[in-house]
Amino acid sequence: MVEHVEEIVVALSSIPNTGKTTLFNRLTGSSQTTGNWPGVSVKKKVGHFPLGEYKISLVDLPGAYALSPVTEEEKVVRAYFLKTPPAIVLNIIDARNIYRCLGQTLQMSMSGLPMVVAVNMMDENSQLDIPCLSTHLGVPVVPISARSGRGIPELKQTLYRVIEDPERTHIPHISCPPILEAVSRALSEKIIPGGPLAKMNANFLAMRLLEEKTLPQSIRNTGMENCIKKWRSQVEKSTGEAIAITCAKCRFNAARGLVLEATHQKPPPPDENSQRIDHILLHRWVGLPLFLLIMLLLFQVIYGLGAPLQNFVGQGFDAAEAWLRVQPLVSRQSDLLQSFLFDGFWQGLGVVTAFFPIIALFFICMSLVEASGYMARAAFLMDNLMHRLGLDGKAFINLLLGFGCNVPAIMGTRILSSHHHRVITMLLVPFSLCTARLQVFVFLTTILFSAAVAPWILFAFYLGSFIAIIVIGLFLKIIRMAGKSEPFIMEIPPYRMPTFNNVWLRTWRQLKDFLCQAAPLIVAGVIVVWFLTYFPADVPAAGAESWAGQLGQFFSPLFHPLGIHWQEIVALLFGFIAKEIVVGALAVIYGGGDLSNQIIQHISPLQGLSFMVFTLFYTPCVATIAAIRIESGSWTVTLYSFFLGLAVAWVASLLLYQSGLILGFS
Amino acid sequence: MKKTDCKFSRQPGVECIIHSLGSDEMIAQRLAQMGILPGARLHIVRLAPLGTTIEVSVDGGQSFAMRNSELVALECEIVAIPLTAVDGPPHTTYRIHRLAGGRTFRHRMEARGIEPGCFIKILDQTGSPIRVQRLDQEEIVKLGRGEANKIIVKVTGG
Repeated sequence: MVEHVEEIVVALSSIPNTGKTTLFNRLTGSSQTTGNWPGVSVKKKVGHFPLGEYKISLVDLPGAYALSPVTEEEKVVRAYFLKTPPAIVLNIIDARNIYRCLGQTLQMSMSGLPMVVAVNMMDENSQLDIPCLSTHLGVPVVPISARSGRGIPELKQTLYRVIEDPERTHIPHISCPPILEAVSRALSEKIIPGGPLAKMNANFLAMRLLEEKTLPQSIRNTGMENCIKKWRSQVEKSTGEAIAITCAKCRFNAARGLVLEATHQKPPPPDENSQRIDHILLHRWVGLPLFLLIMLLLFQVIYGLGAPLQNFVGQGFDAAEAWLRVQPLVSRQSDLLQSFLFDGFWQGLGVVTAFFPIIALFFICMSLVEASGYMARAAFLMDNLMHRLGLDGKAFINLLLGFGCNVPAIMGTRILSSHHHRVITMLLVPFSLCTARLQVFVFLTTILFSAAVAPWILFAFYLGSFIAIIVIGLFLKIIRMAGKSEPFIMEIPPYRMPTFNNVWLRTWRQLKDFLCQAAPLIVAGVIVVWFLTYFPADVPAAGAESWAGQLGQFFSPLFHPLGIHWQEIVALLFGFIAKEIVVGALAVIYGGGDLSNQIIQHISPLQGLSFMVFTLFYTPCVATIAAIRIESGSWTVTLYSFFLGLAVAWVASLLLYQSGLILGFS
Repeated sequence: MKKTDCKFSRQPGVECIIHSLGSDEMIAQRLAQMGILPGARLHIVRLAPLGTTIEVSVDGGQSFAMRNSELVALECEIVAIPLTAVDGPPHTTYRIHRLAGGRTFRHRMEARGIEPGCFIKILDQTGSPIRVQRLDQEEIVKLGRGEANKIIVKVTGG
């Protein structure tokens, strides 16, 4: 007999800050896969673990307060529940403050889906009456501590029992204003749920239809639509508020009663340690300097430690290349194939691996900041400034760390709280002057300018980068590139000690994502550049007759007003692989000799400045583009970023070069 | 009782009770889904260094950050304010609601007879130190502005 392994889908749902990720990691370990939820930049995580004879696939839903959506995350959760209902819902509530969690728990419980409730952080408030909660919610309730692992075996046993016997005995009833109850009962009799919705409670579905402004496709333009609209306006007229709000009030009234029943002693006082730490870290005068100090420290740890590691990896790669080149198997191949292997494919791999140390360090630091609870504080401190760009305070950290390297900063936009913020930040990060661009600027300024002037020019470039981010941020806000922003009401969680497991798994996941999703795009991009510079085969690579050279000459009328020659256009094309390559590419294109002399001969200081401004702003390197693609999940955003960079670079260089000419510089 | 808008309340230590979630539906729905409903008590904990962003705690527990624009959308009634913010005529009597400082501060104040629940009369509010007198005691207590900021008194009104 063939053993039959059934896969059971369990959805992990909770409001933010209840230790959902910790429980997810605890249950699934490292067997996790990530992807995007369809059509949005919200990440989807699925983990697997065995349970008896079943294989559980645990879907980590984004944190959401309710099924009537306000945020992008809540839309995702709602769509997931109504389109592909899971076999079981695993809901988490926070023992320290069950009231705020119960709103969502009650709503989920009313859906009629089989459900298990885990009360997390039980070790911090052990006097909760679990049987009482279980009776009132009508589902099994298990006390656990995701951090220490206590209660996890019991949770698994309970899940197993529910899989074996999924029938719900009763569904809690929440009393609403009589008119709403009457309407939802009447509606629930009219709807015949089919397909995936068949196992859901009809009353729950009726409530969904009444609460939501946009009705599902199947109901539109039927008699039902008018009926729902009529009933909705009747109820809203009589209560004087939106149904979603009335329902939330009813849920939380029930939650309040349940809290009173299940708490026999005084609830634990708010965390005094957090208050004491906040007194310093969020202090009116000391708070901001401390924040900047912490950011400086992060920057140093990530890039100070990351750069030598990057060099080390790069040297290893070069050594491996040198070794490979002399291997008989390789050296016997044709020139074309060798060039493809080393200048295209191998270099692409080199670019990918060079990012590994930085991405790892970046996410170790970010996980620490986020899991400790400081991220919410940073958002609070910087909110006023970032709000003017239509962003919230968390985005500041991404923009700032983008000055080290754009790639992890864009991958880090995942932590931001809304789709809107993520897209805007992704579009802004590429304008920050990363260390790769800095290398180009340091090299060129020291050649083209005297030692007294060069540092000031570098400083001006940093300033220009800041100004560009602000101006483009304002521009994106005005044209509403990413839709309307959401109201800003953010929980400030108590400080917690990050766990090693969480930090490690998070970092590992990001590296895996980068390797699986971004790496192919990066290698492909590098190969495209190789292709353009190598062909046609019988001319010197990147010379005037190569396709890249022809492309450069073709576009040179467009670049003439910027004071940029075709040779430099080819160098910029190389810069697409990685911006620091620009200098090396110039050396190849000018055809050897002393590079400094060549540059002084070919480029005037003003032309050099214009070239550097273009280098600063134009389309980011291929790794950044790949990161934008995987984080946004959208080619539109990626192309937008691509052309926004080119446009900004062209305008900025034009303004600089032409005004320079008018002022009489050369 | 005097109904006051939360817009006058951007001062740490102020406590108010939400009367209505206001007319902005997005904000109202968000707050309702987070369990912040009419009847909830908001404490203004602190302002962000650059202003406009405010940390509030709800019913003495969970903290939230919100912007001034979200806060003014609410209709609330102020129930307690710091001693420095009172605007009654001299010699008005107030009831102490809460001492908003740490343990050391609470002990220091209690040693001087300033404790939650007792009534105090403000003799001189404008100068520094602020002079107050406990109703059932003769002794006049002098308070620095920093101390008075952390003494939250009930708004008795009228």
